[in-house]
Amino acid sequence: MNLRFIGTFTWYYGIRSIKRGPSYIISSILYPLVFLFLITIFSAGRYIDYAVVGGFISIIAMNAIYSGSDMAFQRLQLKTQDLFVATGIGPADYMLAMGLSYLASSLPGLAVYAAIGLYLGIFGVASTLMFVVLLLAVLLGTMAISFTIFGFVKHVRNIWGIAGIVSILLTVLPPTFYPYNILPKALLYVFMISPITEVAMLSQGAFGLAPKAYYAIPVLVLEIIIYSAIGVKLMRWREK
Amino acid sequence: MIEIKKLEKRYGDGNYALKGISATFSKRLTAVIGRNGAGKTTMMRILSTQLLQSSGVVTINGLDNIRDAKEIRKNIVSIPQEASPIGYLTPMEHLKMYLCARGMSLNDSTIEAGKALKALELWHARDTPTDMLSGGMKRKVFVAMALAANADTIFLDEPTTGLDPLSRIEVWSAIKMLRGNIILTTHYMEEATELADEVVMVDSGKVLATGTVSSLLSKFKGMARAETSNANAKATHTIGNTKIEYIKLKDTERYAKNGYIIKPITLDDLFVMRGVNIES
Repeated sequence: MNLRFIGTFTWYYGIRSIKRGPSYIISSILYPLVFLFLITIFSAGRYIDYAVVGGFISIIAMNAIYSGSDMAFQRLQLKTQDLFVATGIGPADYMLAMGLSYLASSLPGLAVYAAIGLYLGIFGVASTLMFVVLLLAVLLGTMAISFTIFGFVKHVRNIWGIAGIVSILLTVLPPTFYPYNILPKALLYVFMISPITEVAMLSQGAFGLAPKAYYAIPVLVLEIIIYSAIGVKLMRWREK
Repeated sequence: MIEIKKLEKRYGDGNYALKGISATFSKRLTAVIGRNGAGKTTMMRILSTQLLQSSGVVTINGLDNIRDAKEIRKNIVSIPQEASPIGYLTPMEHLKMYLCARGMSLNDSTIEAGKALKALELWHARDTPTDMLSGGMKRKVFVAMALAANADTIFLDEPTTGLDPLSRIEVWSAIKMLRGNIILTTHYMEEATELADEVVMVDSGKVLATGTVSSLLSKFKGMARAETSNANAKATHTIGNTKIEYIKLKDTERYAKNGYIIKPITLDDLFVMRGVNIES
């Protein structure tokens, strides 16, 4: 691991971009905020807690998805990946640097949600600590899926379309913004292909919004390991 | 020194990009020249450990490009074709990020980046986002990376493609400041003439000829190129509507009177003489 590279890349590409590219930050906050608004209106405030918890998850997941799409853009358009391949850093360094840069871009959004959550009083100490761990899990898991998918993209024009599709399929469809236990079991198991589903289930359990689902923990851990291994393997770092 | 033996690259669709190339690059600056699609970039990507060959052996300073890739990467710099800087990052940030990737400390990377930016006259733009820089300056940011890295072997894939003539001259002078052995691909023959100690001509995945510019042009000594677009003119070589004859210098006046345009011989003529289809 080249931690110096990961730190420098995250600082320049992630933290500094908050100031230089504010439109992206605003767009990544707006998307879950719109859901928060709609859910609050339609449920007359009853499901607002789900929308806040889901907002946290979707901001991190979306940014992880976009980190993979940006990696594809850098590989196909800017040739940044080729530049870095010949430096000695490995695919895991690059993935982590890119993922952390996008996590940095998520910070303003997370701050907005933290403020809303504090205002609504939904955070307890234990549940918040568990939630932080779960958010890191969603970052790793989604990044791995994203890097795997975008490793196969061959044309720049497909990047943003695929990012939109993946983003909807992974962050809106699973029970991020609604109680997981209202889903038919069969459909829930299908959605459990994505680690975002397990994180949503465990988070809703931690905040007392739905029954605790401990069986999701081993599935989540297994998926992160498997998807990360596949992501690094299929990243096409040194092409064949 | 780089040695290539019977290097082949076959892509998934069955097409060969390289068809058994053998060559040795030992001069300070070797220019690999050829048309688009000749196999230059594929060769550069294999040499700089970005792409795996289908068969053949590549050694860089005695290290095998497959087995010893990690070791090779410590001592090479590769600037890919059409590489673009990340628009909202500055030249200084690019260099520091790149040097840290190469294992340099943050402090050393700041010092080396500063030296390189000053040497290439980019210091005044060090904190300007690169999307505000001209095309030539953007390319010089990459050359500055290579300069600051102080590597033994530098691969530059078409470093001046798409630049205007003045920007090209700017980038050339930056390239001349690089240390180590340089392998440069280009389809600009004047670039090879200007920079290279040795030229390797590549076409359709094969090496056509190798040598210094003067040795490659020696067969044209005392000759000039006569060109016409007259459809009825007889010529040894035809490219599109242009008919080309290689004539002795004493005959230039006679050809000029018949409407031919007389031009001095350049490396382009090696391709014409060898029947390479320049048109496509």
